[in-house]
Amino acid sequence: MGYDVRGGLLALPFHPRSHAVQPVTDSRVAKLAPTKVAILGGGRGGTALLDLLHLIPSIEIVGISDRDPGAPGLLRARHLRIPVTNRIEDLVANHGVNLIMDVTGDPAMERFIHLHKQPDTQVLSGSAARLLWELVSHEANLQAELFHAEKLAGIGSFAAGIAHDINNPLQLIMGLAENLIEETDLKVVHEQARDIIEGVRRTSAICRDVTQYARKTSARDDTMVSLNSRLDEALKIARYAVSFHDITVDKQYGEGAEARGNPDEVLHLLVNLITNAVQAMEKEGGTLTLTTQPSDDTVTLRIADTGCGMASDVLGQIFDPFFTTKDPGRGTGLGLYNVKTIVTKMRGTIHVESRVAQGTTFTITFPPLLEDRT
Amino acid sequence: MGEFTSGFFMGGQATNGRILVVDDEADIRKVVRMTLQKAGYDVLEAENGERAIDTINSGENRLLLDILICDIRMPKINGVEAIAYFRANYPRVPVIVLTGFPDADMATSMLRQGVVDYLVKPVEGEKLRESVARAMEQRELAHL
Repeated sequence: MGYDVRGGLLALPFHPRSHAVQPVTDSRVAKLAPTKVAILGGGRGGTALLDLLHLIPSIEIVGISDRDPGAPGLLRARHLRIPVTNRIEDLVANHGVNLIMDVTGDPAMERFIHLHKQPDTQVLSGSAARLLWELVSHEANLQAELFHAEKLAGIGSFAAGIAHDINNPLQLIMGLAENLIEETDLKVVHEQARDIIEGVRRTSAICRDVTQYARKTSARDDTMVSLNSRLDEALKIARYAVSFHDITVDKQYGEGAEARGNPDEVLHLLVNLITNAVQAMEKEGGTLTLTTQPSDDTVTLRIADTGCGMASDVLGQIFDPFFTTKDPGRGTGLGLYNVKTIVTKMRGTIHVESRVAQGTTFTITFPPLLEDRT
Repeated sequence: MGEFTSGFFMGGQATNGRILVVDDEADIRKVVRMTLQKAGYDVLEAENGERAIDTINSGENRLLLDILICDIRMPKINGVEAIAYFRANYPRVPVIVLTGFPDADMATSMLRQGVVDYLVKPVEGEKLRESVARAMEQRELAHL
């Protein structure tokens, strides 16, 4: 049984054997002519609108313009491969534009637009445009808070793992230190002192990993993220949340697997998927297979388990907010919802295939890496 | 047997008793062994519940094992399952839990099952030896 999410807005059930998306849903999208939008102003307002509008398949951003070539919105647009121009009049006069959104904050702009725009182009400007981008910014802030809340809720389940991983080296340190009080063999003293130092390093590494993961996702610009190193980091973090006893981890990493995104969000996504996969195998054990496959066109990331799997009625709801099959206290119902949101933000697609008692595979495909690798 | 409250001869050498330490971390087994050997105990090791069960069911251990010291979070057969097996099949062998996770519910459940002590790492050598001495007393009472 499989399930697809594209652009975050389509949820397409399809036959497990055919691996083909049902044409009805694709054709439904094809019939909708996209609304072509031009954004004037590359400041905070223009950036916020870009971040939201580029996620909506029924909207095509034909371009963004600002007289300042260093405006943050123009940089963001270049990352998103949206046309950028410093000549506002060219964008305003564009025949293909259905809607001009003016967030320049320049009172003279409204008159300028009406002088140059095509007759059938609509305009959103002034306080209405400002209200819109403030709503969009508010929504983005809420989304960031939701991510953080879900992450912190998940960290609550780390308590057992953290206690285990800290107290074990502490036991080693305690035992060795007690022994050193009476130890007279200098060779043994040196050896045990080195073991104590190693134990302290292990303990401090745990504190560092967890506090780094727990911090609020930084709002830094997207960058090229190595999926292989993020997977290794996510494995380390997930070990605090779930027991990997009787789980074999099979890494099938392709060299140079990278995607453009926020590294903190990618880590959050991977920890969620790995934790779910291991929880699905916690009764019987099994194999967790982590695959990355870069190709000329796309990068594919696959997280597969051989666990309990999901029935079709469950599969249809897994990306819905607040849907969970976990016991109270073990899941917020926001994990996969946030996974989907992050994938959508990275302009990727996520597909899940599951069979009861056989396992589940999540496949995420990221778009081509045509941008600069900074 | 002199000062020993309980003990047996192994290879002609008297010990205070035979203890099986079950923990998936070799470092923990090493320091627990060190601590208990200094107090005159003979220490066996197992890395998980499955190996612990194999150990007690092999040779003279069936009769001569005095105490089980067991972690909870382990691969294969975990501590809860191993302890349940020991309580059911070797009820005269006292069990001490030595775990990294301070879980009050788990501690209560274990103590109800007859576990002598629920110790949370890091535990001082003195406290561990006291706990083992109490368990040895219980072991001797079981033989009466």
